[in-house]
Amino acid sequence: MSKSLLKRFEWKDKLLAFIVPLLVLVAWQSAVSLQLFSEMILVPPLTVMNTLVDLARTGDLTNNIISSLKRVLSGFLLGASTGFFLGLLMGLSSLLDRFVGPLIKACKQVPQFALMPLIILWFGIDEVSKVVFISIGAFFPMVFNTYQGVSGVPKKYRELARVFNYKSFRYLTKVILPGALPSIITGVRHSLGLSWMFVVGAELFGSESGVGYMMVWARQLFQIDIVMAGLFVIGIIGFTMNIILQIIEKRVLRWRVSFDGRMA
Amino acid sequence: MSIGKGILEIKNLSKSFIVDNNPLQVLNDINITIPPGNFVSIIGSSGCGKTTLLRIVLGLETNYEGDALIDGEQIEGPGINRGIVFQDHRLLPWLTVGENVAFGLDGKSRKETEVIVDEHLKLVGLNGFKSAYPCQLSGGMAQRAAIARALANKPEILLLDEPLGSLDAMTRMHMQKELERIWLFEKITMILVTHDVEEAIYLGDKVVIMSSRPGVIKKIIDIPFTRPRDRSSYEFMQIKSEILEEFHLGVEHPFIYSI
Amino acid sequence: MLVSITLPVLLILFWQLITSTGYVSPHILPLPKNVIKIFLSLFSEERLMLHIVISLRRVMSGFLIGIAAGFSFGLLIGLSRTGEKIFAPFFHALRQVPMIGWIPLIVMWFGMSELPRILVIAISAFYPMALNTFTGVRNVPSEYIELASVYGYKRLKLIRRVIIPAALPSIITGITLSLGMSWVILVAAELLIETPVGIGRLISNGRETCNMEQVLVGIITVALLGFIMTMMIEKLAKVVERGRSIHQEL
Ligand SMILES: Nc1ncnc2c1ncn2[C@@H]1O[C@H](COP(=O)(O)OP(=O)(O)OP(=O)(O)O)[C@@H](O)[C@H]1O
Ligand SMILES: [Mg+2]
Repeated sequence: MSKSLLKRFEWKDKLLAFIVPLLVLVAWQSAVSLQLFSEMILVPPLTVMNTLVDLARTGDLTNNIISSLKRVLSGFLLGASTGFFLGLLMGLSSLLDRFVGPLIKACKQVPQFALMPLIILWFGIDEVSKVVFISIGAFFPMVFNTYQGVSGVPKKYRELARVFNYKSFRYLTKVILPGALPSIITGVRHSLGLSWMFVVGAELFGSESGVGYMMVWARQLFQIDIVMAGLFVIGIIGFTMNIILQIIEKRVLRWRVSFDGRMA
Repeated sequence: MSIGKGILEIKNLSKSFIVDNNPLQVLNDINITIPPGNFVSIIGSSGCGKTTLLRIVLGLETNYEGDALIDGEQIEGPGINRGIVFQDHRLLPWLTVGENVAFGLDGKSRKETEVIVDEHLKLVGLNGFKSAYPCQLSGGMAQRAAIARALANKPEILLLDEPLGSLDAMTRMHMQKELERIWLFEKITMILVTHDVEEAIYLGDKVVIMSSRPGVIKKIIDIPFTRPRDRSSYEFMQIKSEILEEFHLGVEHPFIYSI
Repeated sequence: MLVSITLPVLLILFWQLITSTGYVSPHILPLPKNVIKIFLSLFSEERLMLHIVISLRRVMSGFLIGIAAGFSFGLLIGLSRTGEKIFAPFFHALRQVPMIGWIPLIVMWFGMSELPRILVIAISAFYPMALNTFTGVRNVPSEYIELASVYGYKRLKLIRRVIIPAALPSIITGITLSLGMSWVILVAAELLIETPVGIGRLISNGRETCNMEQVLVGIITVALLGFIMTMMIEKLAKVVERGRSIHQEL
């Protein structure tokens, strides 16, 4: 009995989540119906949906999504793996930390978009410059979170490893990496999120393909339905990436997900 | 005097920490020799340096004055001949209970490891929790898992820092019996820090009484009783009140009146 | 200390070496001394100062609006479970849209003016602040709240005296992250929403005229400004932390 009751509550909670989106849609549609704004500025929600379907049918959308995803993946892999290894080494060796740490912290202060013109001057306006730009975005969260995770493994666990005579490899895989994992995962999440933002930024800045390109191009032709459709698409992709990461996180951090016996 | 393997000698040992740029003397001129296979209980008020002393023996604290020797050799770092049950259980939260118990087992086959883990989990009454995570255990269960981990390695000297602190009275007595049984069976040295005077007498060949600021050994009392010991015997009670006297808590026991 | 300046010094020496020997063309990497020269001349002409002031005003307006809104929103969904159920899912969904993505739409709505630039910065400051305020409020140990209720704390007093102080570290993290985000987005906004003044303009101007020195001056200037502001926030965080660590030790 109590179970079905619980289910009903959950169901009601789910319903609450739809209030705001529904209100937004209603407001949007009525603003259109009342002709509060010109058609250049606001088109009905349904039009956006239709545009989306059309774009998908012609294959334009898919091609643009694929080229954005390719960029984001290469940039992310390049930046995040570099960040991971550097963060790990910095966390393990205080000498290296003092050697490169301050420089990396200083570099982090540069708002990365400022580098975009520089990167274009250095690498040209094609794929390479975009991947480099994205990898810079992916690098920083990863290096700092890995470093923090590794150096933040509590002293008591390091001591334990010493008592049991743990040497490098076992020490790394059994104590340091698992201990740093929550922080590393946070790093991956931020890193991927920024990569996604940076790819859109790079494409807005100048590109011949990609979802961002699609939006700039539509803006210049005053096709607001395509701009909104593009926004919707990048939102959905960002959302999906986050969901996937959350599932992975739940899996690998099973030891943290637990009932908290001390709540009472 | 015959010297066996694992003799622990502490001579003129002093240790101070730097706190707020001032040296804080924590241990002062500690002298004690513990022959192999002995059971030594240490009691003393909170903050008198018991944990620090164990950490020195373990090899985690260096920079002390005086000598801490095992078989005549200065302790320079941790070694697997010494095991510890830390005051906080220190189970790794990302390993299961079984993996935690196996933490120190190196170079053993999978099967051997399984056998040792099962055996020790059973010993501390945790069979059935092998694949649970530490966050799913109660404080007392976690402590028992930590004891299993320390024993699984078969150390020559086992250091126990208030290992039974968060157990209920019944489990506690049961675990005391178990510790005694293990000690008799394995013939290893055990050094037990405890706040429970009765526990100290029940288990120790010697009871070391420490006092604080700075930590010194105030008295070492030999416990000559045969094992298993009877907690309610007259001699037991007498030693207990003698020790309590040291802490100025010498309330006369009603039992003594009735004699 | 010595170790930490070794690498930067080496890099600058390397830079000097490859440029002065002509190994790398000055169009790719100018001589360090030319960068300094341009920096000084821009600085003395007061043009640089104008760019800085305009950019600072933008970033501060956006940042302050963003964190104020983020704090209120985070508090709302942190304190009220119903509020969370109603607003949080939409918030989390919206959060997945990269801030930069809003730029084309916002430009279509508001044109290439000051408002969209500040709006984008405000949105970017809003998310981290809202999120961290929310988690901070939710992670206040229930023991504290129980304790407060034992002493008869009513809602407002509870929020002011217990919940906000306990959530403070997280709130400060939110402020720091928001500030960082604001800087990143400031430059993006200045590059993508055309503007006659601002450090972003300085940089893109440099690119268009192939004036590498000016590009580097722009980058170094934003970096320095960002650095100073982060330092200030971190100082603040330290002061707050110090006051708290005393009882956390025990
Ligand atoms: N790393 C350290 N740095 C500075 N002071 C320390 C350090 N470790 C311990 N101390 C100090 O040394 C003294 C003894 O500490 P220790 O942990 O050995 O006490 P204890 O006898 O085990 O106490 P308890 O019974 O409460 O566990 C304390 O005053 C403590 O503040
Ligand atoms: Mg202690």
